[in-house]
Amino acid sequence: MSMTQDDPSDWVDECAADWVVRLDRLHIEPHESADLQAWLGQDVRRQGAFLRAQAAWARLDGLGAPGAVAVPARHGLRHRPDRRAFWAGGMAAGAALALGGGALLRRDSRLTTTVGEVRRVPLQDGSVATINTDSTLSLGFEPQTRRIALGKGEAWFQVAKDSARPFVVEAGLVRVMAVGTAFSVRRRNGAEEVIVTEGVVQAWRADVPGRRLTLRAGERARIASQGAPWTRVEQKAALEQSLAWREGEIVLSGQPLAQAVAEFNRYNEVKLAVDDPALADQTLVGRFDANDPEGFAQAVGIALRTPVVQVEGSIRLGRAGG
Amino acid sequence: MRGEAQRVPLDREVIVTWISREILPHEAGVRAWLRRAWPHRQDHQDIIQEAYCRLAGAALEQVHNPRAFFFQIIRNLLLEEMRRARVVRFRALSDLDSLGLADDLPSCERVVLARDELQQIHALLAAMPARRRRIFEMRKIEDLSQKDIAARLGVSENVVENETAKALKTILKAFSEASPAQDGAKIEYEHDAGRPVRLG
Repeated sequence: MSMTQDDPSDWVDECAADWVVRLDRLHIEPHESADLQAWLGQDVRRQGAFLRAQAAWARLDGLGAPGAVAVPARHGLRHRPDRRAFWAGGMAAGAALALGGGALLRRDSRLTTTVGEVRRVPLQDGSVATINTDSTLSLGFEPQTRRIALGKGEAWFQVAKDSARPFVVEAGLVRVMAVGTAFSVRRRNGAEEVIVTEGVVQAWRADVPGRRLTLRAGERARIASQGAPWTRVEQKAALEQSLAWREGEIVLSGQPLAQAVAEFNRYNEVKLAVDDPALADQTLVGRFDANDPEGFAQAVGIALRTPVVQVEGSIRLGRAGG
Repeated sequence: MRGEAQRVPLDREVIVTWISREILPHEAGVRAWLRRAWPHRQDHQDIIQEAYCRLAGAALEQVHNPRAFFFQIIRNLLLEEMRRARVVRFRALSDLDSLGLADDLPSCERVVLARDELQQIHALLAAMPARRRRIFEMRKIEDLSQKDIAARLGVSENVVENETAKALKTILKAFSEASPAQDGAKIEYEHDAGRPVRLG
């Protein structure tokens, strides 16, 4: 809000009431009092509070009369279209997030999610896999190890403690091993990403088994999926944002629009596209439903003052003449 | 929202009367929405105050649905802030949309609101110290001037002014803290077309 003063709002209200009663006593008009004008000054809150106090004062006139407090007249009752219904029309493709759906699991089975779907699946050993959009997991539980192959996509694992049976996630060449902890693995172009939310994990490349990386809670690592086995570890990463998908949300904290759009497109068949290159670098802050690209597009349209049009299963941002 | 340059400004008294009849009764609903949609913001009262300032400068004679207009002003204030901060919160926006488009209250609801308000004001008066209540009743029910009240009660005009101001502050504060009966979030009613509509 645009304010020039830092007075607490309660104090402003009280001063406004004092002014109303003082004017009432002295029988002067508000615009005639220089002191009042000085107090109102440039602070819009004071001006608003004064009007409100005047209105409340006027409303209390004739308090004792029967049917005293004025009933406002009814104005312009008109039918209006429901804009939310309009947006909902384009949302059919956005599949509902199926959190908490306990899918039945066979031994050595495959788990998949479609675009826009998030599944939380209890595993036979007591661990829980929360699987993000458009992902594939293959489970291979054996007496000595618990092996999970992440074919594509992303999953977060809450691993049941069993020191006799390590829990190993395979993402391409990358291996991530835990005993009892929580971590996520995401397959990305050129690198696998590991985020540790609890405890400690070890990560390595299958072709370089001797070089092991120890990752602790709060750390995010990217490990090259092929070629030279480089790694990059971030400490104190914004993990809650990266893992907001577990709640069906996308959290933006200053990411450029282009990146935000790519993130939404992971979750939805209705794809977003940025037609105006000047928009791509605009940064955004916010918390959104991952399966509501229309809502996100609408918010972007308002925030960046840009046209938003729906064209055959896609939403174009910044299309001229739209 | 701002009137055109050639528009003749409304008389202050006309504005105050209109606001008291058409806007003030909906403040509780606006506050209920702010609490629901923006629970973590500490500046609801600032937003309300700024909204009243906008109302003072608006072309009120063209307003057909005061309640929707009030919500529209709040919506615009929040949108302007979002644009400045580049913060977009879709849930709040969609909530705002549904409110901004909500129809005005049906007349029976208005009567209930007004009756509840009257009861509330009388309860507030009953809880005030005897002298303050008496002074306020003399001023607002018996319509005596502050000067006459001072003469009748044998107190100074400053006492009358102070007690009256304290009474008004108590009532203003009560308007800021919507009672459950006025909390639009809790009121549901049948729309004319039979469609249930959630208020406020």
